Amino acid sequence: MASFMTGGQSMIPNPNPTATPITREGDQLVLTPLGAGNEVGRSCMHMSFKGKTVLFDCGIHPAYSGVAALPYFDEIDPSTIDVLLITHFHLDHAASLPYFLEKTNFRGRVFMTHSTKAIYRLLLSDYVKVSKVSVEDMLYDENDIIRSMDKIEVIDFHQTLEVNGIRFWCYTAGHVLGAAMFMVDIAGVRVLYTGDYSREEDRHLRAAELPQFTPDICIIESTYGVQLHQPRVIREKRFTDVIHSTISQGGRVLIPAFALGRAQELLLILDEYWENHPELHNIPIYYASPLAKRCMAVYQTYINAMNDRIRTQFANSNPFDFKHISPLKSIENFDDVGPSVVMASPSGLQSGLSRQLFDKWCSEKKNACVIPGYVVEGTLAKTIINEPKEVTLMNGLVAPLNMQVHYISFSAHADYAQTSGFLKELMPPHIVLVHGEANEMGRLKQKLVSQFSDTNTKLYTPKNCESVSMYFTSEKMAKTIGRLAEKVPETGEAVSGLLVKKGFTYQIMAPDDLRVFSQLCTANITQRITVPYSGAFEVIKYRLKQIYESVESLPVEEAEVPTLIVHERVTIRHESDTYVMMQWSSDPISDMVSDSIVAMILNIDREGPKMTPIEEKTHEEMERMAQKVVHSLMVSLFGGVKYGEDGRLVITVDADVARLDVKSGEVECENQGLRERITMAFSRVQGAVRPIPKPQC
Amino acid sequence: MGTSVQVTPLSGVYGESPLCYLVAIDGFNLLMDCGWNDLFDPALLLPLSRVAKSVDAVLVSHPDILHLGALPYARKHFGLSAPVYATEPVYRLGLLTMYDHYLSRRQISDFDMFTLDDIDAAFQNVIRLKYSQNYHLSEKGEGIVIAPHVAGHLLGGTVWKITKDGEDVVYAVDFNHRKERHLNGTVLESFVRPAVLITDAYNALNNQVYKRQRDQEFIDEILRVLRANGTVLLPVDTAGRVLELILILEQYWAQQHLSFPIFFLSNVASSTIEYVKSFLEWMSDSIAKSFEHTRDNAFLLKYVSLIINKSDLENYANVPKVVLTSMASLEVGFSHDMFVELATETKNLVLFTERGQFGTLARMLQVDPPPKAVKVTMSKRVPLVGDELKAYDEEQEKIKKEEAVKKASIIKVEEVRAASSHLSESSKGDSMMIDPPSAVASSEVASHFHGKMDILVDGFTPPSTSVTPMFPFFENTAQWDDFGEVINPDDYVIQEEESNHMVGNSKGLDAKPDEASVHLLLDSTPSKVVSHEMTVQVKCALLYMDFEGRSDGRSVKSIIAHVAPLKLVLVHGSAEATEHLKMHCAKHVCPQVYAPQIEEAIDVTSDLCAYKVQLSEKLMSNVLFRKMGEYEISWMDSVTEKTNEKMLTLLPPPSASPVHNSVLVGDLKLADFKQFLSTKGIQVEFAGGALKCGEHITVRKISDSSQKAGTGAQQIVIEGPLCDDYYKIREHLYSQFYLL
Repeated sequence: MASFMTGGQSMIPNPNPTATPITREGDQLVLTPLGAGNEVGRSCMHMSFKGKTVLFDCGIHPAYSGVAALPYFDEIDPSTIDVLLITHFHLDHAASLPYFLEKTNFRGRVFMTHSTKAIYRLLLSDYVKVSKVSVEDMLYDENDIIRSMDKIEVIDFHQTLEVNGIRFWCYTAGHVLGAAMFMVDIAGVRVLYTGDYSREEDRHLRAAELPQFTPDICIIESTYGVQLHQPRVIREKRFTDVIHSTISQGGRVLIPAFALGRAQELLLILDEYWENHPELHNIPIYYASPLAKRCMAVYQTYINAMNDRIRTQFANSNPFDFKHISPLKSIENFDDVGPSVVMASPSGLQSGLSRQLFDKWCSEKKNACVIPGYVVEGTLAKTIINEPKEVTLMNGLVAPLNMQVHYISFSAHADYAQTSGFLKELMPPHIVLVHGEANEMGRLKQKLVSQFSDTNTKLYTPKNCESVSMYFTSEKMAKTIGRLAEKVPETGEAVSGLLVKKGFTYQIMAPDDLRVFSQLCTANITQRITVPYSGAFEVIKYRLKQIYESVESLPVEEAEVPTLIVHERVTIRHESDTYVMMQWSSDPISDMVSDSIVAMILNIDREGPKMTPIEEKTHEEMERMAQKVVHSLMVSLFGGVKYGEDGRLVITVDADVARLDVKSGEVECENQGLRERITMAFSRVQGAVRPIPKPQC
Repeated sequence: MGTSVQVTPLSGVYGESPLCYLVAIDGFNLLMDCGWNDLFDPALLLPLSRVAKSVDAVLVSHPDILHLGALPYARKHFGLSAPVYATEPVYRLGLLTMYDHYLSRRQISDFDMFTLDDIDAAFQNVIRLKYSQNYHLSEKGEGIVIAPHVAGHLLGGTVWKITKDGEDVVYAVDFNHRKERHLNGTVLESFVRPAVLITDAYNALNNQVYKRQRDQEFIDEILRVLRANGTVLLPVDTAGRVLELILILEQYWAQQHLSFPIFFLSNVASSTIEYVKSFLEWMSDSIAKSFEHTRDNAFLLKYVSLIINKSDLENYANVPKVVLTSMASLEVGFSHDMFVELATETKNLVLFTERGQFGTLARMLQVDPPPKAVKVTMSKRVPLVGDELKAYDEEQEKIKKEEAVKKASIIKVEEVRAASSHLSESSKGDSMMIDPPSAVASSEVASHFHGKMDILVDGFTPPSTSVTPMFPFFENTAQWDDFGEVINPDDYVIQEEESNHMVGNSKGLDAKPDEASVHLLLDSTPSKVVSHEMTVQVKCALLYMDFEGRSDGRSVKSIIAHVAPLKLVLVHGSAEATEHLKMHCAKHVCPQVYAPQIEEAIDVTSDLCAYKVQLSEKLMSNVLFRKMGEYEISWMDSVTEKTNEKMLTLLPPPSASPVHNSVLVGDLKLADFKQFLSTKGIQVEFAGGALKCGEHITVRKISDSSQKAGTGAQQIVIEGPLCDDYYKIREHLYSQFYLL
């Protein structure tokens, strides 16, 4: 936890928020899922803490269209958001971004990784093109996407950025190329948002990293709930075995897959398998996705975001230059003459090329369909997993389903083992589950609760728009530096200086050091004013002496003209017969003193040399008058104020009684709050009643 | 009180020797860069050899020989085993640069300062970081955070920020504030008031011409030569500045649809560009943007052909062309051979884009006026044949036998040593000082060198005369004067036999000598180096244009002034430039400027005092902050209280605190104030450096030369006769400040 030392504050998460009534609003961290709360799709998490607001992800719900697919943006004020962080390019995490940037009053900054940004552009253009909705239902168009590109800033893995005092950086998340987990640090409270993540290294992606620091809150996906994945080797073997046996029997293999993400992993597997099996070299493999073809350049470029295996291969040749796989533009270009392997989108077989091929091949027994990932409820792909006898084709006819259907999940989401292992290593005090069907999430929660039963861990599963509040009591730390810190003070010693706050760090310094330690600087304003005066200079001196305690004459040797210094602040020089010049350094007291002197000099001029002796009051009289004023002022402030028997003032406020020693300013009172108020009030009253004090320094 | 910081240059001060500095932070030794020069002169590394073992971490800033060249050698011979930190491109391009140098050296000599395996071993423990990644060191370095930041100059180039307890030490050498085609400018200017800034004075006296003008001249010169049927040779580095040049040429060729061929020739040219293509996230915003929008990778080269073999140029022998080839120093590598070929024809141009390292051929050619003729050594690696091969085999046998004898003698010696006999000690020394066998006839020089190196490699054998182990030291016998190496007039007499010998040899080889020699390097066929000296008449045009991509003198000064470090350490620059920058900075930036000598340890521990306190809720609830830019500021009176474990807490004072002198905070610019006053309807104009407001009032800033040094408040004077205007203007003036 070395960064606690560098951060300005350390935070002690409060284990029991309700037991501390003094918690102020600033200490409350509020998390509100605007999407993906107890559902999969339209990920969007709103977080606010200490006046800073962060939004994680900005997706759409693939099952809905138009505004219904958006997260609940109307629950929040987009203009208050400081930073928007996008974890990866999938539609359910990024696709409402153009809408949010172009159609709302959001003014903050947006960040995503380099590869996410490159693919985001291609993926959303494709999404706009293929989504068959009416013009009114269109959330945004191609131009909005292009405009949004200029507003998106990039962040590299581990790069630490700071915006408005919000520090954040990201870790590798696995899942897809460029997927990131964001760690956000606001005033020392760390929040980890995993997005979609996978702790298992595959052919091209690294496993999600384990952050170096324990976050105070972990917002984690729960797509697979308590399910467990098969080991990767077994999955890959099943996959290649199915394909190999199908094509060796002369069949065709259809792999319906989303164009980006898992598809690239499967292509790598196939390309490598073909490389190792020369007997297969005459069997073509196609990927029928123009989008995937366009994105291949991105995969060929951002090699450094991938794992060491790919980077080592890269030393010889680019592994994404496939040797045995070729792109396929459309079904018209497809010469279906013999065994082949075709990967086509969409993954759900709703329409498009994958469906066309499915319709063509489904009644042939030797063909096979391999479903390689998570399938959404209600799609044909989900239906055929249960191997029905017949299926309805796109043209409405019913055909027998004879082809082999295999479900081999390559989904790069964490399973239960990974999730629980990840949380066990991190041990965050607060866990928020998102991105999972309510049932799966519920089961995961149950299991995690029992796993962390002996710790103080809190689990939350908020629904959309349901806020979760957590309290973090803060201890603000400051660093005293420069001249002020030459000696470490003992208990009870006074420390006075400038308190400078930047972001969430505090520094205390002497005014003279301000320029040294910050970009601010201080100024002195010297004022020089000439006042017409034609009388004798001695008269001014005489008058001033009556008003001010300290009026010094400078010896004539030092100043060429007669000079007076009042309260060591204001210098008056008798420059000529017609005017005097006053000079002082600006500050409220000097300004006041100088004003009174100016008024006096002008009055002398008007009154002429007439002088009236001022009635000399005794010290006791002065004191008595002052006490009277203090008494009446205290009455006006506190009401019940009486003179006590020992000369002290007895102040009664409601049931509390306080005794104020008028001479020393000491206050005796049971009620702490009242005592402080009286002390404060009395010191101010004193300041008003007593004459202007002589300058302190 | 603060963190202790010591800086000890090991090389690279008051001159152009490679960069290597030891920075100790609270006893943790950081080696900043570990450079060598193109000549691989071990004498330069002596200071490093003395401290290498105590180094705890190495931070590398640029992928070239001057910044990381000594890593393999130091690791092998000095026991430099500390982890190395660098950005991904510095790691990768640095590795390729080392390969290129090794292969080039190996082709012409029995180079064995280090091997390819040594390079790999040295780069194996490089920890790769991203820009702005805060890396927390552990164990001995607990509490130290290192972070690489964009430096410009070379791809992946790094300004290192080392932080401990909130104090920053910034190491910034060879940075470039200008945005280039493939790189962003440095972010050095965003660091404000670090405790220590270590920077170079390399360019303190150089000022650059306007970039666009320079680019145009560059293209014009090249085209002029090409159109006159000449060849342009650009000696470049392996994987650094060459990238910018390639982009300039690509861009221009694409604009003008030129058809002159361009070649990038180095031992690693194709893999360099292949890797560079995958480093888009480290390049300039415009390159990243064009990729995001159109997926056009700027390094998908359309006009530049990548070749790793000089023979590929044979078909283009008489075609006008541009050849970019390593090394920039012309000492070794393809550039050396190409130069010899091209120098004799007046139509050709050798265009230098960086200053040659001291003592290299490139430097010699860059003097004004350029030399009429230079002496070069042409070397070639050829396989052994006939008698030589036999001799070699015999030699191998002999070596084997000797080795056996040696082993036996060592065992014997050790036995004897147990009995602590001095006599046998010396006899052992003798037995190990085997003279290199003279069997390899025509390569005595090289093999002699080889023999010496063997001793160096095999370890620290004490010569019979010395008591303790020591490094063998050989004096450089070449004589130098102000004009470079002293030339023996006899060398100008062209020796018939020798060139005949040369011709005969090259005839004997197969058609692709380079490939053959690379091939020879990689397998262990016995081979030898054949070399001969010859004099090249320099008839071609020579030109130097600054494409080094470093900030120029004026910018360096203004950047340093902006960063305004509390202490400044100057390194790497000629004595003149160092002194100049030192004087300048001492006057205008900060009073504490250091320019240490080699192995002179300077203490730049900040005299800053600091302690930590806790701010109590009660105190904070009374504090009202005023916002000023990114700062919030307030006056605070408090008393301290000691709470648990020596933590001090600040509480509100129990009684009214004494009145403090008021503080005006703000930065007044007279020009802005003038604007402000005129919007308020006040007649205002500048008169003699002061601002004349209305009829009689003047506002003036008293500038004090000592102010530049960082401390002290601004002095502002307002004067005038007693009148309404006076108070009005004073009111406006006050509104420019915060009163605390």
